[in-house]
Amino acid sequence: MRIGDFRASYVHDEALWPTRVQQAWLLALAVALLALPMGVNGYVVGLACMVGIHCIAAAGLNIMTGYTGLISLGHAAFMGVGCYAAAWAAQRGVPTLLTLLWAGSLAALLGVVVGLPSLRIKGLYLAVATLATQFLLVYVFREWDSVTGGVRGVNVPNANILGFELLSDQRMYYLILPVAALMLVGARNLFRTRVGRAFIAIRDKDISAEVLGIDLLQYKLASFALGSFYAGVAGALLGYFYRAMTPEYFTLQLSIFYLAAIIVGGLGSMLGTILGAVFMTLVPEILRAVVALVAQWAPRATEVLSPMQQLVFGLLIMGFLVFEPHGLLEIWRRLRRSFHLWPFRS
Amino acid sequence: MHTNDLINSSRRRIVGAGLGAAGLSTLPIRAALAQSGELVVAAAQPITGVFAFAGVGLHQGLGDYCDWRNQAKGGVAGRKLRYVGEDSGYKMDQAMSVFKKLMGAHKPPVFYGDSTAWAKAASKEVSQLGNTLTSSPSFASDLADPTNVPYYFMAGPTYTAMGEILLEYISRTSRGATKPAVAVVYSDTEFGRDPIAGIKAKAQALQIPIVQEIVTKPGAVDVSSEVAKLRRAKPDFVIFHGYVLAPIPEFIKQMRESGMSTTPMGTIWSMDQTTVGAMGAAAQGWMGVMPYRYTYDTKDAPTMQAIKDYAAKARPDMKYVPLFYTHGWLVGMIFSEVMERVLKAGKPLTGPNMKAALESIDNWDTGGLTGLLVSLKGHQIASGRIYAYNTDSKLMEPASGWIKTA
Repeated sequence: MRIGDFRASYVHDEALWPTRVQQAWLLALAVALLALPMGVNGYVVGLACMVGIHCIAAAGLNIMTGYTGLISLGHAAFMGVGCYAAAWAAQRGVPTLLTLLWAGSLAALLGVVVGLPSLRIKGLYLAVATLATQFLLVYVFREWDSVTGGVRGVNVPNANILGFELLSDQRMYYLILPVAALMLVGARNLFRTRVGRAFIAIRDKDISAEVLGIDLLQYKLASFALGSFYAGVAGALLGYFYRAMTPEYFTLQLSIFYLAAIIVGGLGSMLGTILGAVFMTLVPEILRAVVALVAQWAPRATEVLSPMQQLVFGLLIMGFLVFEPHGLLEIWRRLRRSFHLWPFRS
Repeated sequence: MHTNDLINSSRRRIVGAGLGAAGLSTLPIRAALAQSGELVVAAAQPITGVFAFAGVGLHQGLGDYCDWRNQAKGGVAGRKLRYVGEDSGYKMDQAMSVFKKLMGAHKPPVFYGDSTAWAKAASKEVSQLGNTLTSSPSFASDLADPTNVPYYFMAGPTYTAMGEILLEYISRTSRGATKPAVAVVYSDTEFGRDPIAGIKAKAQALQIPIVQEIVTKPGAVDVSSEVAKLRRAKPDFVIFHGYVLAPIPEFIKQMRESGMSTTPMGTIWSMDQTTVGAMGAAAQGWMGVMPYRYTYDTKDAPTMQAIKDYAAKARPDMKYVPLFYTHGWLVGMIFSEVMERVLKAGKPLTGPNMKAALESIDNWDTGGLTGLLVSLKGHQIASGRIYAYNTDSKLMEPASGWIKTA
């Protein structure tokens, strides 16, 4: 049981992870994540890569929606912009890290344009405006043959870091992991700064925020740009990961997927983002693994139980919304509290 | 115990059980395979999702072929086949995840995916691994490419080849000096757009005028303005592509109501007996291209008889064997033929060896499943036959001989 957290300096007080216990857990997590590809098969590494990409994209949406209160239904399209921008640059031999920056920046620029209506509208109206962006951008992906390959899609060359080609998922993992870590820590840090706090103030009450001297134009557009930047980088990594992409991937369904991830995980929290992305990626896999397990003894189980997976997945999401509206984050917090207070109260 | 504790404890148990199941699910099979030397036929099947109408049949057909092969022929070159299929939900992410999972767990020499998107995304990895031959229900024209997609084949003609077969039929059956006018209606999807350039080129070569080209949403409901365009263009034939059912029945219904005598035609996924039956009255006059026989057409077709018999024995509740099942069965036949050729030559089951074996398949008798002897040199079976719906018998019946494209 921990009885207190004594902070004796401002540096200590401002630390991202102030206690030694937190730092130790974080170190253990970092070591485990770094060692992961050495101890598991390619399938698990592939899943870990997807979790990383989903975490980055969901973090972007959480910045916009969870922290700033700007609902976006066009997040998948911004990922598409990043993916196609990366494919275009990679085909021209641009180094991978520069490609990621380029993809994110282009998505951010578009985010600023799309964010302009947010100055006049909010809530559901803004959601509809971003929905229009979703359809518009997907239309561009399908029609702009010379850049996007049209409906046939585009091939993305292998990622390359200083001449070292990332041919396998194991190698891609070591690109995705640090990028995801950097972006998630960056996002968490952001909300300890003036910019991040301005975002939160806008979310809580934009008129009050303006009265306090927060420039709504500047900060709302910054939020859109930042969220889109994250989506663009995630899209670029997705392109490198799959090495080929078609416009049919970046559907409204994917935007909803990310919205569901941040709601299930916990709005306005980076930890919630991670938990939501992990949940949305791994639960369908676990359900499928259960079906595969049953199918070893009952060969027809795949046909019968597969449709049930979606039902169970849907019920799980509904269950979280009904019984734990604050998302997985709240469950995590309760779990932590019970460890902190053990054995006096569990 | 406190309510929260109960919930937490249950959650822990559920999550633990799920994770345990995920880990355990692959272990027994892997161990068994290492000992028995079974050949794994792996698949990511679209059992749920928008392609589920076909996915269940594809899954059953491929799985049943493996069982039938084991029972009837003792497997392939003395090694039993083992089918491992999981649901892809017709989502690229999920299909790739199943692909990676099954490749890691079983190292299958052959893999069946679920879509064009999967085939394109997996092709680079498959090429880099170089030890797996793949296929899927996609007949996308750019996948029949032995140079750029070396380890992929399709058990049928490309969508472009299907369009060419339809046009060949139109050309061959036309009377008089003027060729019939054709309109093309297709969905605004990768699937729908795929053969359009090829169809136009073939029509030009056959001097068939394409008088109207209409693009719709995949499941469009209101097609009145499109039908008005067709009425003005007065085509003799309308080729529908990129749909399974909707909006074809609505098109035909409105065309009939406006007095048009145009013949509607379709491609493979609109040609299943149940799909055509679901068109209702609109099915009258429906024609289309089919690369396989229907399972009730067993005359001089021992494979079709075998399919019918096996399905009746293994799936007594199955009233009608869909074309998706037949497709899955044929994919199993090709996988087995390729592996048998490689193993009988005493070579390992590597990608290059299986590609060479695939391309060596020429004048291959499928037992009547396809009408002509099969060549897979171009990684596709470029032949098919025109079938027309008979409203009296409620069956699709042959309207032409088997047509082969170049």
